Amino acid sequence: MHGMRGLSVFISDIRNCQNKEQERLRIDKELGNVRNRFKNEKGLTPYEKKKYVWKMLYIFMLGYDVDFGHMEAVSLISAPKYPEKQVGYIVTSCLLNENHDFLRLAINTVRNDIIGRNETFQCLALTMVGNIGGREFAESLAPDVQKLLLSSSCRPLVRKKAALCLLRLYRKNPDVVNVDGWADRMAQLLDERDLGVLTSSMSLLVALVSNNHEAYWSCLPKCVKILDRLARNQDVPQEYTYYGIPSPWLQVKTMRALQYFPTIEDPYTRRTLFEVLQRILMGTDVVKNVNKNNASHAVLFEALALVMHLDAEKEMMSQCVALLGKFIAVREPNIRYLGLENMTRMLMVTDVQDIIKRHQAQIITSLKDPDVSIRRRALDLLYGMCDVTNAKDIVEELLQYLSSADFTMREELSLKAAILAEKFAPDLSWYVDVILQLIDKAGDFISDDIWFRVVQFVTNNDDLQPYAAAKVKEYIDKPAVHETMVKVSAYILGEYSHLLARRPGCSPKEIFSILHEKLPTVSTTTIPILLSAYAKILMHTQPPDQELQSQIWAIFNKYESCIDAEIQQRAVEYLALCQKGAALTDILAEMPKFPERKSSLIKRAEYSEADTAEQSAIKLRAQQQTSNALVVTDQIPANGATSPVSVGQLSLVKVPSLVTTENDTSTDRALSQQNGASSKVDPQPPSADLLSDILGPLAIEGPPGATVQSEHNAVSGLEGDSDAVDGSAIVVVEEQTNTVQPIGNIDERFRALCLKDSGVLYEDPYIQIGIKAEWRGHHGRLVLFLGNKNTAPLISVQAIILPPAQLKVELSLVPDTIPPRAQVQCPLEVVNLRPSRDVAVLDFSYKFGTNMVNVKLRLPAVLNKFLQPIQVSAEEFFPQWRSLSGPPLKLQEVVRGVRPMPLPEMANLLSSFHIMICPGLDPNPNNLVASTTFYSESTRAMLCLVRIETDPADRTQLRMTLSSGDPTLTFELKEFIKEQLISIPTAPRSPAPSAAPPTAQPSPQIPPNDPAAILAGLLS
Amino acid sequence: MIKAVMVMNTQGKTRLAKFYEYLPVEKQQELIRGVFAVLCSRAENVSNFIDAESIFGLDSRLVYKHFATLYFVFVFDSSENELAVLDLIQVFVETLDRCFKNVCELDVVFNYSKVHTILDVMIFGGQVVETSSSEIMKAVEEISKLEAASNSIALIPKSASGWRSR
Repeated sequence: MHGMRGLSVFISDIRNCQNKEQERLRIDKELGNVRNRFKNEKGLTPYEKKKYVWKMLYIFMLGYDVDFGHMEAVSLISAPKYPEKQVGYIVTSCLLNENHDFLRLAINTVRNDIIGRNETFQCLALTMVGNIGGREFAESLAPDVQKLLLSSSCRPLVRKKAALCLLRLYRKNPDVVNVDGWADRMAQLLDERDLGVLTSSMSLLVALVSNNHEAYWSCLPKCVKILDRLARNQDVPQEYTYYGIPSPWLQVKTMRALQYFPTIEDPYTRRTLFEVLQRILMGTDVVKNVNKNNASHAVLFEALALVMHLDAEKEMMSQCVALLGKFIAVREPNIRYLGLENMTRMLMVTDVQDIIKRHQAQIITSLKDPDVSIRRRALDLLYGMCDVTNAKDIVEELLQYLSSADFTMREELSLKAAILAEKFAPDLSWYVDVILQLIDKAGDFISDDIWFRVVQFVTNNDDLQPYAAAKVKEYIDKPAVHETMVKVSAYILGEYSHLLARRPGCSPKEIFSILHEKLPTVSTTTIPILLSAYAKILMHTQPPDQELQSQIWAIFNKYESCIDAEIQQRAVEYLALCQKGAALTDILAEMPKFPERKSSLIKRAEYSEADTAEQSAIKLRAQQQTSNALVVTDQIPANGATSPVSVGQLSLVKVPSLVTTENDTSTDRALSQQNGASSKVDPQPPSADLLSDILGPLAIEGPPGATVQSEHNAVSGLEGDSDAVDGSAIVVVEEQTNTVQPIGNIDERFRALCLKDSGVLYEDPYIQIGIKAEWRGHHGRLVLFLGNKNTAPLISVQAIILPPAQLKVELSLVPDTIPPRAQVQCPLEVVNLRPSRDVAVLDFSYKFGTNMVNVKLRLPAVLNKFLQPIQVSAEEFFPQWRSLSGPPLKLQEVVRGVRPMPLPEMANLLSSFHIMICPGLDPNPNNLVASTTFYSESTRAMLCLVRIETDPADRTQLRMTLSSGDPTLTFELKEFIKEQLISIPTAPRSPAPSAAPPTAQPSPQIPPNDPAAILAGLLS
Repeated sequence: MIKAVMVMNTQGKTRLAKFYEYLPVEKQQELIRGVFAVLCSRAENVSNFIDAESIFGLDSRLVYKHFATLYFVFVFDSSENELAVLDLIQVFVETLDRCFKNVCELDVVFNYSKVHTILDVMIFGGQVVETSSSEIMKAVEEISKLEAASNSIALIPKSASGWRSR
């Protein structure tokens, strides 16, 4: 670091470069130089190495890839002198990632430094492991690091690093770092007087309790004590007082840790904590010094979060809201920002919404703050606090703001305004006004869903139709209108302009010419809508107007040869229809009502909310304040006569929300299909691509009563490949089983989980089942995470494990109900009795509303989970190999039909199953020799040896030899590896085998207690 | 957890970049550029927060502080308190100031190895390890003594001799 004149000269050179090109040349020169020097390493002194390595780090920081010299950086770690060692450690942490092969070479040196006597070396080593330590580091170093942390002879300097090093190793590899029995040690660490060590220990505690708070109850009173000590500023050394605040970081961390405990039962501890919190809440003022403000408010905002988490009495909550109300009006921008953010979080606490509403005016002012970060928070808050009582004010503010809003915010802003208008409209005409204004002001940001939705409302509400038609005519009269406005107007005027016919300027001819004026300005996706509108206008013109007719026919004629197939088809069909005379009126009659369904907008909003929801205890517990119900739909009069689906049925029908890009095409198709549906004489079930969100399939034929059930079938059948179907809301006939479709491929998820220990096992629109596993020897501990994704509870939850004969599986109690947006964890103990490839099955069911969902899922407790890689040397391998001379302990098979793959890929495949390649044992480069240890109760730990001989001329066949001390194990492992190597022909797009398709799966016929039969069913 | 610490000047030149989760160099540069693009358009006297999720993905937050020609930027996840991280930037800068006596951009450029050392004393694997400026100074001085003592080649620049006299 010092005296590296060469480095300073290099930096100066770089600084003197006039442009990027010069810089690159200079850097290439330097890299070449360094590379050359490294080539004949002999002449390099450690000092020079150090200098070059710093240069590399500098070059790396400038954004150039440094793809050599890693070895040199790593080798500096073992240098005896401090400066070189230090550089080695720092640069290694910056340049290499945790999986880099060279790191393995350093493990021994690092361990020696950690267990050695030299404190500074200990610190360096801990720092590097804490930055990039991977699995192998965790395996070989975790016990040493734990020892350091607890050692009373170590200086705080070392211990605080040991605490965080352990935290890193634990976070990255919770299965390797054993923290059983750490509760007592953790509690002991919290008695530490040194604030540096205490801060680090608190971070470690946060990581531990976030995973399992049950084990750490004993730490809770200690945390409260620490907080009390700090808040009273007792016994806090001067150097840990920051702008007069006793270590704000430790205070904040301690309150974070407390938020991971669901509640505080001990009355004394609870009272003490509330006293401290009260003091923090009341004792913090905004002062002149910015840094002091930041520090004291860091503590204050964390205290607020803790109060919210603890569900304090209403009085304290209102105190909090009052404080936040004060904050959002202060001059200090950071506090305004956090005030708004925390008020948004506060919304999730029940009963405070009304108090928050009192600050509405101030929040609206924040929408005009000079700082875009603050404006965003204000928008989030307004969106969150909106309900029926204030929707009008808030949405109108948003509309006003839209014209001046930053470009980057407009899309979000318009989407939010549209959602609020729909969710909370006090009356429907207002809703129409809002959407039209949105399209007018920010047409580019209005997705199709928004205008589809307005069309749907207008169609379903007779009293709204003249109003909407008059309104769109006002807009379309303007000289320059957005294309989306043309689409809505064309649709609405086509359907309903005849209702305006008596008003001035609204004769069919006038309407037509206003619309037709826009035709040259629009794209090909809009023209079909215009053509449909013309056809409808023509049909509504009574008595017929010859001039209008010839004008429109001329247009149809013109487009009959249009290159766009959609336009062409409409032109041809409408022209033919027009010549049908009276039949035209029947065919082009007004569109029937749409079935009532949940808005895709609202669904989208909910989805993204669920998606971004923090995992904090607060959010998990809090239920979104709004229900799914569409407030506006209450006002829709039932008009069952024209509609096969009773509109009066207000329950929601979930429809797949299509990806927007799909929407574009499919809706237009849907529009054309429906407007032109007349050309089809016999009733046909609508094809699947009709299913866009709002213009869904309408069974036009048939009496209302009879169609209900078939409608349902059509819906669930057709929407088979969509992700969210809940057709049962149309009519409750009986409990529906498995109308939901899983998200993602269950089979792929299972296969992925066979190779890793945590991930998602199953997901559908209502539930997500995650899994996390730890394997030790022949024992396994799995945790199922059952997460309810909805705002309503999942009931009748049942999980039954159907274990194969070789596994003993115990599932702890699964709760009958999963509360809204909550996740429950169900541990599962597995013991492997003997070798077998059979798989355990989880039979899982739940009810959502009236929907019964049942799935059978394979559990990734497969043979390879009980394998542990082991490196065997030649001296160990060959005697073993020879001693197991033939069947049944040693089996050989020529395998054909192998998926062709290069040898390294095959080696990777094997190692992914914990079978370790032992390089160098077989002289033939085309062969692989590998070894592993298998664990089960009957075999105990048993060594297995594998040899695979491949034929470079024919990659589809190989000879495999397996040996172990147990005949069943040898056989099962051989078959297992074979299965992995052979390409089993599977239909790639077939429905996931275990997904239990809607109707086809004859699940009741399978005897529930016979896993083998179930498996056969699953795999067929 | 703190995900990244960056120091860049008002021209967008990186002066320090430390990522606590491994990222390839191109990705690092992309993120740095993304941050700078937002920072350079921010006025004075606004909050120290910017929306980080569009650059760093979900569950990321960003606070920054602007001193003379330099931006100090910390990126972190929701397990950290925003203002506490802001305090940490202040501690970092105050420590640099004590170390270099009125720190300026050039100090950071030419002593960037030292800046790394200071950062490593403060932040460990993305976690705050030391928050006391004087404790950080103590540790850094200890390190420089060690370096000086074992450095066989006696080329000690003014900055190094400066610390020892302090």
